[in-house]
Parts: sequence; structure tokens; C-alpha cells
Amino acid sequence: MNFLTDLAIISVFCLILGVASKYLRQASIPAYILAGLVFGKSGLDLITAYEFVQWLGKIGLLLLLFYIGYEFNLKGMGERGRIFAGFTDFLVNFSLAFAFGWLIGLTLLETFILAFVVYISSSAIVITSLIENKRLIYPEAETIVWLMVFEDLVVAILLAVLVSATSAASRLVILIPLDIAITVLFIVLISVFVRNQSRLLTSLFDRDDEIPILLVFALLFGFSALAYWLSSLVHVEVSELIIAFFLGSALSGVRTFKKLLGDLVTLKNFFLTIFFFSFGIMIPVTFTALPPLDFILICLALIALSLLGKFISGALIGKKLHDSFETGLRIGAYTTPRGEFSVILLAIALERDLGISDLVVSLIVGYVIILPIIGALLAKNGDWIGKAVSSSIKKVQNGAQKPR
Amino acid sequence: MRISELPEIGTKYEIESPKGDRVAVIFLRTGEIELYVLEARADKPAVAKLTSEEARRLGSVLTGAMLTVEQEGVEVSFSEIADLRINIHVCPAPKAIAGKSIKDLAIRKRTGATIIAIARSGRSIISPSPETVFEAGDVLVVVGEHEQITACEREFLQ
Repeated sequence: MNFLTDLAIISVFCLILGVASKYLRQASIPAYILAGLVFGKSGLDLITAYEFVQWLGKIGLLLLLFYIGYEFNLKGMGERGRIFAGFTDFLVNFSLAFAFGWLIGLTLLETFILAFVVYISSSAIVITSLIENKRLIYPEAETIVWLMVFEDLVVAILLAVLVSATSAASRLVILIPLDIAITVLFIVLISVFVRNQSRLLTSLFDRDDEIPILLVFALLFGFSALAYWLSSLVHVEVSELIIAFFLGSALSGVRTFKKLLGDLVTLKNFFLTIFFFSFGIMIPVTFTALPPLDFILICLALIALSLLGKFISGALIGKKLHDSFETGLRIGAYTTPRGEFSVILLAIALERDLGISDLVVSLIVGYVIILPIIGALLAKNGDWIGKAVSSSIKKVQNGAQKPR
Repeated sequence: MRISELPEIGTKYEIESPKGDRVAVIFLRTGEIELYVLEARADKPAVAKLTSEEARRLGSVLTGAMLTVEQEGVEVSFSEIADLRINIHVCPAPKAIAGKSIKDLAIRKRTGATIIAIARSGRSIISPSPETVFEAGDVLVVVGEHEQITACEREFLQ
């Protein structure tokens, strides 16, 4: 009966907090993490079937990456300015946070993870807020959406690199190219399989019974298990998340698969909620590494830096693509919330026991809880901020000209 | 008209008038349809959420498929051929013509209007032949220009 109690706690409290956060017009991810914190190891410690909850969460991760892969579209990415926007966003935000991590004396790995967490916006939160704030008619909405697609691709690549790099730490570094080679092999295998069997898949996905959903999970778990099995055989690392991503991408070419998408998104949302909760359970909350005041200062500095980063990259993108800094500042405001990917990355790092210091863990947790809240405020007032900043820039310019 | 794919959101169709007013229709992945209207210098767009049924009705109004609806008749025009307008009139067959055929009455010869369909209890006859005999209770669909239909109504259908 243990797991039923656990599931009851998870679903009831996530439901309550979820409803509360929607009511307050806030992102719900931080709420689910907080619920996990309260009931998990650092809190009331009420969850017993801990591994079980973690497994459910992992299914959520697989489904998320699968969904992102499905939505990924290389052709659209190639359109004017989108690659530029993606790289600007990456270079500005990643390097700012990397410098920050290096300055406060983190290890290389911690710095890498911190920079990644700061760089990656939350596609889920950003896209929901674009719809809810009625921004879809504006040209920058498109830029923002494609920016998220670019970031998602970077996530997939960086996850692969991280998985490979951290597992190779205890082995020969020479094996990293081998990991990548095997991963590429799998990607080719998946796309060849889907293409060759496209007729069979098309007819199976067109059915109205339980076959389509079974087929999706058979493919998803089947390829992941194959990757795992092969990995342990030849001692290489292939991330199942990457497999999920490319499987989703390959299946987007199967016409009838679309029918199933709504159901899959529903499942993804459910399991992903459990993932955020399970993340909350496992993080240790300790502030012993630093005096609380220092910790809060560092956290605030990081938040200020990452807001600045997105505004700078947003302004550059806005200037180049829409010829307007003001539009750019709105892009900055909209891409502020960080969320699922930052959490996922930290979860993977913790699971692999990479020796991430408690300071960094608490810092990132604080960060992903606070930023979506700030982000929601910025998104609501995106217009106003854009106008205020650009008009104050104009004032400063005028002021500078007057003394002459 | 600009069509763009918004991953994870849906598809956006957008049009801008010479004045700078913009209208966008977004088919969301959730199946809902959002209609955005943004006036040239307005701060915020107005947004209406439509079901697919509502969107279809609105769409047929906008394409001009139904321009005027008078009594039981409709006038159809086509966006491709702006000058072509077809009046379609629907009316029950009066008792007086029951038992007579289209040929007997020489409807087209005398009025110019054409009977294109007859709805008869349970089945319908599309493009009836001149030999078709009217029965009591038939509902006729007549096409033609406005004057032709008026003439047809005056002569036979009252």
C-alpha cells in the first residue's frame, strides 16, 4: 500500500499547489518542486517508495524529450535570423554565467552546469505566457518561439555531452568520441527504421484502440533499453533522453502519429509533474556552506546577472531582426523564466553523484524557484518595460546632448 | 497573407491591411482557434477564442459565400469570380403544379430560372430531367438571376 499513499500525497498536493499557482497566474513548476521539498527527505520525509516515484518521474523526462523532438523542425530553423538569434542568446547568457561561476570559485563542472542552468529558458513557461498574455500576433512572438526551439536543440546536445563527459571521467577520455559515434549510430538506426517501416507505422498509428499508445511506448522503451544494453556491453554511454528526442523527431514524419499527440502531451504533463516533485524530494537543503547572508547575496547577484543577460541578448536580437531595441527588450522579458531544463540538468548531475557542492545545488534550486515568478511579472509587463527602458535611454541621450 | 508555423503552439495566418491594421488567425494545438485583431496604433490586440464551428461560420461570411439572405433564398458569390452572383431560392411546390412536369410548365423557357434540385420526402433529385413530374409536398431549389427568380415565383410558385 505504500506506493498508493505516496501517489495520493503527490497527486493531491500537486493538484492543490497547481491550482493555486494557476490562480495566481504563476508558473506551476516551482510549486511542484516546493511540494517535493516539503514532503521529501529535507522536509516531512513522508515519501516511502522513493525509487518508484523517481521512475515515474523519469518516464516524464523521456516523454518531454520525445515531445521536444517531435516539435523540432530543422527547416523552420533555417529561416532568416533564427540561427543568429539562437547563437546570440547562447553566447551572451552562457558566457556571462560561466564568468560568474568562475569568479565565485566553482569547479569547472559546477561552472558548466551553472552556466547551462542560467542560459536555458523554460520553453513550457515561455510558450504558455505568450498565449496567455495574448502576444501571438506580434512578430517577436515568432522569434521567441524559434529561440526556444534552438535552445531545446542545444539542451539535447549539451545533455549528450554532459552524460558522456561525466561518465568518461572515471575512464579514458578517448572514449568520448566513441560515445558520440554510438549515439549517432542510434540516431541513424532510428530514422532508418522509421522510414523503412513507415507504411506499417502509419497504419498502426491510425487505429482507434490501445495499439497506437502501446506502439509509442514500445518504440520509446525499446530503443532506450537497446541503448542501455549496448552501452553496458561495450562500456559506452548513450543517453536515453537523446534517444527519446530523436525518436520523437523521426515519428513527426509519420502522418497518422499526429492523432496520438494530444494524449501523449497529457501523459507527459502528468509524469513531468511527478518528476518535479521527485526532484524536490531528493535535493538536500543545506545552507551550511556559506553564511545565509552571503548565500542570499550570491543568489541575488546570479538572478540580476541572468536578467541582464537575457535583456542584452534580447536587445541584440531585437535590433537585428526587428530593427527595434524596444522589441528586443520585450524578447528579453519574455525569455526570463527558467524552469524544467535547469531542473533536469541538476537532477542528472545529482543522480550521477558528480560532487556538486551543496552551495551550487541550493543556489540553483533557489534560482529556479525565484526566476519563474520574476519572469511571470516581466512577461505581464513586457510592453511597459520595453517602453520605459527605451524612453529612459532616449532621455539619457538627450541629457548627454544638452550640455553642448 | 503570411503563414507561419509556431512549434508547440500551432499555425498562424496573418494579414496586414494597407492602413496597418493586422488580423491573425491562430490554430492552436489544443484545437481552439484564436482570432487576433490589432489596430494600427493600438497597444493591445483584441482576441476572440472560437470553436471550429464558429470559425467556419465566420469564414463563410468573410469569403462572401453568403452575401444576402432574403427569406428562403441566398445569394452566393465567389471570391475567385467577383462578378458572378447566383441566387438560390428554396420554396415548396404549390398544389397547382403537382402532377405536371418541368417540360409541361416550360419553366426555363418562360422565366429563365432553372430548377436544380427537388427535395421529396426521404430522397432528393439533383438536376431533375425535364420529364420529372412534381408531387405535392415537393420542395424546389431554383437558381437564376434575381429577376428570373421573381418571374418564376410569380408565374408558378404562388
